[in-house]
Amino acid sequence: MPLDATPELSDDVLLIRFANGDRAAARTLTLRLTPRVLAQATRMLGNRAEAEDVAQEAMLRLWKIAPDWRQGEAQVSTWLYRVAANLCIDRLRRKPPAPIEDVPEPADDAPNAEGQMQTRERLSALDGALARLPERQRQAVILRHLENLGNPEIAEIMDISVEAVESLTARGKRQLAQILAPRREELGFEDD
Amino acid sequence: MTETGKDDMFLDALFSEAREDAQDAASPDLLARVLQDAEAEQDSWTSAPAPVDTAAPRGVFATFVEALGGWPALGGLAMAGVAGVWIGVAPPEALSAEMAAVLGDDTALVMGLGSETGFFGELADAGEGDG
Repeated sequence: MPLDATPELSDDVLLIRFANGDRAAARTLTLRLTPRVLAQATRMLGNRAEAEDVAQEAMLRLWKIAPDWRQGEAQVSTWLYRVAANLCIDRLRRKPPAPIEDVPEPADDAPNAEGQMQTRERLSALDGALARLPERQRQAVILRHLENLGNPEIAEIMDISVEAVESLTARGKRQLAQILAPRREELGFEDD
Repeated sequence: MTETGKDDMFLDALFSEAREDAQDAASPDLLARVLQDAEAEQDSWTSAPAPVDTAAPRGVFATFVEALGGWPALGGLAMAGVAGVWIGVAPPEALSAEMAAVLGDDTALVMGLGSETGFFGELADAGEGDG
């Protein structure tokens, strides 16, 4: 069964159906939005368990606001990214940054175990580098380059101007490149 | 290729890998918890009926009490009624004198009826005159 059984329905429409008690809409929204909000929270927090808590909390807030949702006023995903970002920032400010958790070893019998291991290593390096960025730069880079959102939507989520988003992502990317450049070869990118 | 160009390609490749990796990131356990929250929220809307639906039908007495201004007003009304009855049964001395001046002395009335004087005596006299 496909993860999203009704790709033609917008989040807006599904949320209104959800508010009317539609179980199928609840399922579709869960499958459609949870991975996105989890990915954002994982990159922001660098901790899987905390990211899952944030994702669940953000989704719970979406369920609670559903009956009052006004169609067309805001994008559901934008609203959700914003809630998740705020929850992440609250957590980041409450405690010092946690170390990036250990990356699980791939199974030995996997056909491309070596390739998977290198992918894991690269993603772990990216997570480590992201964790070293200032909070706002990290958020902007994640939304732009990992969540693939447009600058106007990011501006709305972060409550800043589009120009400020461009500046944050450019500076964030420059800093990421500086952090990761010494490991380029080690991570499997030929320097020719 | 320039260093900046290499950095861009390197980062773009990393971002691309990370995006693909995030696709399957949500565990079945997390999805189940989120869905459970969603359904619990839906159930809470359907299992909590509007207060109007649960209210008992309003009785005639309740409507009457409300029309009078609620229980405090009804209490005042009851006190006024009791006071009225009590004044009728045992009027205070001062009130008796005042009332006698306004309405006449009931003793005199009784006597008047007996001696055919006063109001009824005059009526009787008038009747005799007519006949």
